[in-house]
Amino acid sequence: MTLILRARFFPPLRCGTDGEDPVMSPEKITVRMTVNGKAYVRDVEPRYLLADFLRHELYLTGTHIGCEHGVCGACTVLINGKTGRSCLQFAVALDGAEITTVEGIAGDGPLHPVQEAFHQAHALQCGYCTPGFLLTTIEFLGQNPDPDRDEIRQALTNNMCRCTGYLNIIDAVEDAAGRLRAKGGEA
Amino acid sequence: MREIEDFTLIGKTVLRREDSYLLRGKAQFLDDLPEPKNLIHIAFVTSPYARADILSIDAAAALALPGVIGVLTGKDLVDDIKTFAPVIELDGYREVRRPVVAVDRVNFVGETVAIILAETPYVAQDALDLVEVDYDPLPSVAEINEALKPEAPVLHQHLGDNLIFKSGFETDAFDARFAEGDVVLEEEFRTGRVTGAMIEPRGCMAWPDPIATNITLWTPTQIPHIVRTAIADHLDIPESVLRVVTPAVGGGFGTKAHVYPDELIVVALARRYGRAVKWVQDRREDLLTNAHARDHILKLKVAVKNDGTICAAYLDVKTNCGAYPNHPYSPTLEATAAVRMMPGPYKIRNYKYDVCSVTTNTAPTGAYRGTGQPSAFLAIEGMMDRIGRRLGIDPAEVRRRNTVRPEDFPYVNVIGVRYDTGSYLPSLERGLEIIGYDAFRKAQPADRMVDGKYRGIGICNYTEVSGTGAPGWRVRGFAKMPGFDSSRVVVEPDGKITVYVSQADAGQGHYTTFAQLAADRLGARWEDVTVIEGDTSKTPYGTGTFASRGSVVGGGTVIRCSEKVGAKVRHIAGYMLNRDPDRFILRDSRVHDRDDPDTSLSLREIAETAYSMNNLGMPQGEEHGLEATDYYDPPMVTMANGTHVVQVAIDPEDGRVQIERYAVVHDCGRVINPKIVEGQVHGATAQGIGEALMEEIVYDTRCRISKRPASTQSAASRARPRVG
Amino acid sequence: MKPAAFKYFRPDTLEEVLSLLAEHGAEARILAGGQSLVPLMNMRILSPAVLIDINRCRDLAYLREEGGMVACGALTRQGEAETSALVADRLPLLAAAMPHVGVRANRNFGTVCGSLAHADPLGELPSVATALEARFVIASARGRREVDAEEFFVSALTNCLEPDEMLAEVRLPVAAAGGKSVFLEIANRAHGFAVAGLAALVEFDAGGRCSRARLSAMGAGDTTARLRTVEALLEGGTLDDAVIREAGAAATKAAEPSDDVHASAAYRAHVTGSLVRKALRQMLGNGEQGR
Repeated sequence: MTLILRARFFPPLRCGTDGEDPVMSPEKITVRMTVNGKAYVRDVEPRYLLADFLRHELYLTGTHIGCEHGVCGACTVLINGKTGRSCLQFAVALDGAEITTVEGIAGDGPLHPVQEAFHQAHALQCGYCTPGFLLTTIEFLGQNPDPDRDEIRQALTNNMCRCTGYLNIIDAVEDAAGRLRAKGGEA
Repeated sequence: MREIEDFTLIGKTVLRREDSYLLRGKAQFLDDLPEPKNLIHIAFVTSPYARADILSIDAAAALALPGVIGVLTGKDLVDDIKTFAPVIELDGYREVRRPVVAVDRVNFVGETVAIILAETPYVAQDALDLVEVDYDPLPSVAEINEALKPEAPVLHQHLGDNLIFKSGFETDAFDARFAEGDVVLEEEFRTGRVTGAMIEPRGCMAWPDPIATNITLWTPTQIPHIVRTAIADHLDIPESVLRVVTPAVGGGFGTKAHVYPDELIVVALARRYGRAVKWVQDRREDLLTNAHARDHILKLKVAVKNDGTICAAYLDVKTNCGAYPNHPYSPTLEATAAVRMMPGPYKIRNYKYDVCSVTTNTAPTGAYRGTGQPSAFLAIEGMMDRIGRRLGIDPAEVRRRNTVRPEDFPYVNVIGVRYDTGSYLPSLERGLEIIGYDAFRKAQPADRMVDGKYRGIGICNYTEVSGTGAPGWRVRGFAKMPGFDSSRVVVEPDGKITVYVSQADAGQGHYTTFAQLAADRLGARWEDVTVIEGDTSKTPYGTGTFASRGSVVGGGTVIRCSEKVGAKVRHIAGYMLNRDPDRFILRDSRVHDRDDPDTSLSLREIAETAYSMNNLGMPQGEEHGLEATDYYDPPMVTMANGTHVVQVAIDPEDGRVQIERYAVVHDCGRVINPKIVEGQVHGATAQGIGEALMEEIVYDTRCRISKRPASTQSAASRARPRVG
Repeated sequence: MKPAAFKYFRPDTLEEVLSLLAEHGAEARILAGGQSLVPLMNMRILSPAVLIDINRCRDLAYLREEGGMVACGALTRQGEAETSALVADRLPLLAAAMPHVGVRANRNFGTVCGSLAHADPLGELPSVATALEARFVIASARGRREVDAEEFFVSALTNCLEPDEMLAEVRLPVAAAGGKSVFLEIANRAHGFAVAGLAALVEFDAGGRCSRARLSAMGAGDTTARLRTVEALLEGGTLDDAVIREAGAAATKAAEPSDDVHASAAYRAHVTGSLVRKALRQMLGNGEQGR
């Protein structure tokens, strides 16, 4: 079985769909999803991407779309506790899943320690990529509570930022690790 | 402007207020805005060919698709939107106008040939595949030198060739001065084509007011006022009925400092259909159609004395315009910047340049990160190293010997630009010191091989144009570039302060820093100051946020305006307390009598007088209200400067470059918020490293972009600069 | 960039998956992690009419040792393989390659078998599977068959699956005692597509001679390619500087890469040799088996 084009090349041409009517069988499917602790039920087309589902069905627009092919990480959310590209997931395939988006990190309460660390370190400028970075950091520090800077750099390859040059983000993750450890120590 | 000595907030790191909503995902970027009911989503059918005649467009299958509202071609829009062109008045520039949607001919891959109007973005994408365009492909050209050949296909017949801009300059007796050199060195430098690749692609939404005839355009632009003027011009509508608003903007870098055809299109369609119209760009369209930059060929020839000093320099620059001139700068932006900035911090007194821009079948190029400056500095700094090698002089020493010295200020450079001050030598010395230059050179073996890798140090000195005012734009032919920025500072009836600025933030932290400036100059609490910008209906006219002008011009006008309001505050306080206004100092949102600490009035009390909320009336000759408006047009340009020194290792096995240490000394003058300035320097440095080592948009022989999306666009975590 | 519409099926068992494949054949694609498939669908490079989502087929997610092989099911996530103690212990070459496969968010969902089926000559996993001489278990409603890597990878992004077949399992031989494995990659960025790479596995006899060498280069051909001339050169001899240099030269000669925007063919051939030298030197310098 062959894929038509080499994936790594940017396709110069928009490829057709072999004359098929592309909107055949758009029957909507019911999806149940728990997002930021709240249960939702929606009927959507199978092709509806999770990113669009969150943004345009649930109006959780904090999850941003940057590249729509899994490279930039702006649309990163937690899917059953793990970071995933919401532009590479179909909402229907996540029936029953638990999702955390940036809106769910702290709700309207005080900033989460990771958010606070980003604020203190000036780890964001335009802020468009930031939601993805926050969720990557939360997953990473959950797995590695006391990372060194090289481990942080490796973890941050999950996401792209065009404004900051990354240095302050690395500082922020390091600081966030300390904040979370201190908080864990209290508890 | 008089020197400010009594700072309270200027120069202090204040944490950014915009973080509070950005960190919670509550900022509203273009595609996050609530959508009006009955919204039309549009998508663009784009050309797969670099140059072709459009023979026919068959939209029947697309129109038959449920959810498709309409399909429009270039012909359908010619009466609505005039052909699009910047206004440039510069000898050697020849006008090229473009239809916002191609009519008979396409000139680059990605050029719009038809517009889908649909009920949802998904259906709009489906319809794209169903529009059948019959093209007759024509020979095309992507590369500058190819486009200059006599046999090259000519993009715009009325020009006769592909030269859209050509200019030159020469100091007196240049050839004679050049002949005085002991050695002559010549080198060709090329810069790759790059683009901003903001993480947020572009997009725009036009929303007609259902009761009035007004239209609001939401667009993440760096230049809202210029966008409004351009749309009014090209759609022939009164500027007064159009409001341009920037939502939160996900990175600009110059790429979003253009007027784009889509901005004209959504407004035109919103007027035609009386419905809101929205377009959201995807990454493919970003890379194919947003302004590219660079793609320059620079030939630099210098005559040098045996001591390494440059007697005379000749620079020949060719830039790639792309298929059409960008709006509002045209290709002259990068071309003139490169040749005008090349002398930089060096005392080059005999100078000649030739510069041209060439149209090719590629995406239009425009403003991005420094415009022509990085190319110019690549050439002159590369030449400094070559001079050192030829004459056996340390490359840092060659630079020292050519640098404008502290005692030379104010210095007028060879093309007439005045440098009022600068720290050229101290910056260089500081950079060398941070990196440990002398020790490194002493230890460096002749073959440069240390621990199995080639190790070396590169140096770049630069001046940087910032805060260009009207004269600075006019001298380069930008006939309609305002140059000034403006602000309106209002002390509201409750004593809180609103600052309206003609700028448009794209992540630089204006909402924090402009509040610092206003609070500092008005003696107000920072928390009491709200900054509003990016809305043509709320702020006075201005130029916008690009070319390193935000702090200089936007900040400058906020300072001036706040001081104007401060004078009125003092005047009213003097009247209320029956004392000399000059006795008052402003602090903590109160007016204090400097000689009588027990006597003070709050800004609110003064505002109540100004807004006639008590029975005091106003002092004679003073109007009600407590606000001022200011237009600040800085003289020519302001020159910042700095030095980058970088130590790299190159693996001889695979040629990979690793940045081991990186020192930035950047003298931007008075710092408003140190943390924010550091962040800007980090980000710019990372993009510079990306441009130098990793990023390039490559056109193939058929003028198609052969390039991986976005992934090549960001400086790697492998190339991690440490900035200090 | 939005995917075209498709019919969506979410079977619970392999049997149902195979019967759907039998029914829809070339029209259908398997959706596992989607990390290679969905980008292609978003760009409409690929617009399958039918997606068969196997994420409910929990029986297909496993890593288990059986008969000297580690069997990895069609739904085993890359992230699971990355953190698996079994993989770390039995498949050090795979363990070494795992961090290079996409980024964390990709590995959390992307499957080992999915990446293999994608058959990217610049993919890490095809290269590892080739060096390990993996067995590919292919299932269809017609039955099962097993092929080796060289049969499985046909050309760039092309595998040997018939339209009604799927890759149900890959079987990776466990590392021999005294074997050494190294995985190296050159990429423009710390993550993202590689420019070149190498999966190398060398076993030694009691006398310290190389008894078996398997080297597979990424980006050195239209498929992930065994460097057989290099293997022949190494086997039966002792690893010393002269042999290592010769092996590097042979690798450069054996490589048949292509040009693209990221690297020229000449560069890829050159670094294939350099990666072989680096890998072999690492094996010499590093006493214990493993990364």
